[in-house]
Amino acid sequence: MAKVEDSELAYTRDLPGAVRSNPNYFDNEVIDHLIGIVLELGAQSWVIKDRLAFLEELLAKQGSVSLDDLEQGRPSEELQAKLQTERQAMIQKIYGRLYSSYGGDTADPLSAPMS
Amino acid sequence: MSVEQAIYPRGKMAGVFPTLTNRSDEAYVEFIDDARKILIHAQQEPIGAYSRGLIEKSELSNEDNGPDTTQDAVELLMQDSVLKTYYRVKRSLQEAFWSGLKDSLDERRAEILAALDETDQAGPGTLEYDPNWADSVPEYADCEIHLQPGGNMSEALAGLYYDYGLKVFLGGAADNDQLAKFIAMGAAMPDDGKVERILDLGVGPGSSSTALKERHPDAEVWGIDLGAPMVRYAHLRAIETNADVHFRQMAAEDLDFPDNHFDAALAVLLFHELPIPVAKEVIAEVYRVLRPGGKFTLLDFPGSKTSDLYSMFFAQMDALDNVEPYLPEYRRSNVEDLLVEAGFELEGYDHKAALSKGRVAVKPATA
Repeated sequence: MAKVEDSELAYTRDLPGAVRSNPNYFDNEVIDHLIGIVLELGAQSWVIKDRLAFLEELLAKQGSVSLDDLEQGRPSEELQAKLQTERQAMIQKIYGRLYSSYGGDTADPLSAPMS
Repeated sequence: MSVEQAIYPRGKMAGVFPTLTNRSDEAYVEFIDDARKILIHAQQEPIGAYSRGLIEKSELSNEDNGPDTTQDAVELLMQDSVLKTYYRVKRSLQEAFWSGLKDSLDERRAEILAALDETDQAGPGTLEYDPNWADSVPEYADCEIHLQPGGNMSEALAGLYYDYGLKVFLGGAADNDQLAKFIAMGAAMPDDGKVERILDLGVGPGSSSTALKERHPDAEVWGIDLGAPMVRYAHLRAIETNADVHFRQMAAEDLDFPDNHFDAALAVLLFHELPIPVAKEVIAEVYRVLRPGGKFTLLDFPGSKTSDLYSMFFAQMDALDNVEPYLPEYRRSNVEDLLVEAGFELEGYDHKAALSKGRVAVKPATA
């Protein structure tokens, strides 16, 4: 299959990204871990919020609910639209402040500028 | 279990994508998807302006985008807290997305693999791949591009992972295959109107191939990809729409087709995944298999000639952060120059439309 000599491609092994690594962006890698942890916690708390909202919708419609309904079903289109709005507001509210110092779209207006 | 139940147990997502296994998995990925839109995509322009401002205040110039200066820009910009945060968030969300997707699809791995086995021999269309595909991956391609678990070549579910990745990374543009249809409609065809055979290179989930077949129902459409998991999934996807497309596991740098065989060829976002020696060979092969007057549409990122230092910094960061090892050298190659060097005539290229209209190269009628 190979039509290009291996020797011509030897350099590729040393290119950044040729081997997956786990780069840290901050001098203190704990900050890298904390950002990852905070994003994951947000995602996990959203899963619970979504499930609760779906459960309430099913109960209101059906009066009872099975595990299969909850796991295999999907909220109504109306609820999905509402959840999307809530989810985006939550992301903006919690994480928007990360970018406050440069005045990006999600900047928190009450945040102090970076000195 | 039917193929439909194995791949789409809870119905299709956005018209075409495989379903996640349960609602909780879906909610998790929806959160990551929206977080990407708000914290990454929406920030690209302001982060770019902010970064260019930092460059202007430094001793570097946005006009000088050579490799050494680009490395200097990495060292300069990655001292900045905002940019450290942006790249950390980007990386963490990418990892979280793949992890959520993989965990979900892996819950029904056996059923999905059985569905792929079942459709391998089904029609319409045909499929050929090396049954020992996992042992034949060229070293240059054996990397986890986009951080995709196992990479495009070595993971049996890579086609599904990649397809769902398109849904998220393209921010909805790939929903209902609308992007693939747009690209297929725009792919250049010979001026004489004769379109009997079309070659689609590096097809991934094959949506561009099926869209080409829809546009030219009387033409033979061949979709090739280096990854066996990709062509297997592309074949499964094509069968669903009754598209008579021929998928082959094949290296684009070593095409198993006769000279002057195709009227048109298309490559979408393939070239930035190739080392330059391979990219040159792919171009030579496409030139060989196209008939005189045949046209090649190449959609990919613009080159360094039309990019500033910040753009090249961004590519350099993507190489390491997002496992795109060949992106920087691809952009420096200015691939339109490679097409001309190989004998093509460049019919049209607007670098601002590099990803939508692409470069159109014609094999001269006298060749």
